[in-house]
Amino acid sequence: MKEDALWYEAAYVVGITNALNVVADGLPPDVLPPLAESAADAQTRAVIDEIRAFYGEVPAPFLTIARDPRYLSDLWAAVRHGFDEHRLTRRLKEALAFAVSLTSRSAFGTRLHLTQLRRLGVGEGGVMEVVGVAQMFSSYTKIADTLQLASDMGDIAPVDPAPAPGGRVARPSTARPRRKQR
Amino acid sequence: MPTVRIRNASEYPEAAQKLFDLSKAWFAHDFAEPPAMSRVMAWDPEFGGPHGRAMKRAMAPGEFTRADKEMVAAVVSGANACRY
Repeated sequence: MKEDALWYEAAYVVGITNALNVVADGLPPDVLPPLAESAADAQTRAVIDEIRAFYGEVPAPFLTIARDPRYLSDLWAAVRHGFDEHRLTRRLKEALAFAVSLTSRSAFGTRLHLTQLRRLGVGEGGVMEVVGVAQMFSSYTKIADTLQLASDMGDIAPVDPAPAPGGRVARPSTARPRRKQR
Repeated sequence: MPTVRIRNASEYPEAAQKLFDLSKAWFAHDFAEPPAMSRVMAWDPEFGGPHGRAMKRAMAPGEFTRADKEMVAAVVSGANACRY
C-alpha cells in the first residue's frame, strides 16, 4: 500500500459512501419522498437501471436525488467510478465502505455494503474480520483521543514520488516535503 | 499535549519490554521509543494484553490481507476523526 494512488482511491470511496449515507439516513422517505420510478423520464430510468445492475437493487438515496435527473446522473457517475475496480478491488472498496458506514453509525450504509460484500463472495469470516478491525480501531482511536496522543508513526511510511496522473515528476527544488499519515 | 505523561520504555517493568519487542516486530520498524499507543497499552497488561490479542486476531490475514486491513483501519480512524 505504498503508492498514493491506492489511498486516493480509498479516500474517494470513503467520501462518496458518506455522501450516500448522509442522504439515506438524513432524508428518510417521510421527510423527502423518493421519485417513483414510473414518474422518471427515459434518461433517468436508464440511470436507475444501471444502478440496479450494479447493486442488484436501487439504494434509496438514488431515488431521493432522482428528483434532479442531471444531479443523479453526475452523482451516479462519481459513485460508479469510485467503486469500479482500478487499483483497488471492488471487494476491498465494499469492505472500506462497510467499515466507514459502521463507524459512522449509518444503518443504511452498513446494510447496503454488507449486502454487497456478501454478493461479492465474502463469507461470514471475512465480514467478522472487517467488523473486528473497525471495532478495534474505534477503540484505539478513542484511547488516543482521550489521552490526546500525538501521532508518532507518520514518518515510518515511505513517500511516493510519482506525479499526479498524466503529470510530470516535480523537480527536487519544487517538491514540497511532506509527511504521510499512517 | 497528552493528558498524561507517556513513560519511556525504560520506566516499564521487564514484562512490558517483551510487549515492546512484539510491537517493534508488528510494525517492522525500529522505533527509538515504542509507539505511544504501545506504551499506553502496556500500562495495564490485564487490559492491554487481551486488547492487543484481539487486535492481532482482527488484523491477521484471512479473507482480507493484512494490507487490506491496514487500509480499513486507516479509514475507520479517519471516520473517527483521529489523527493519531
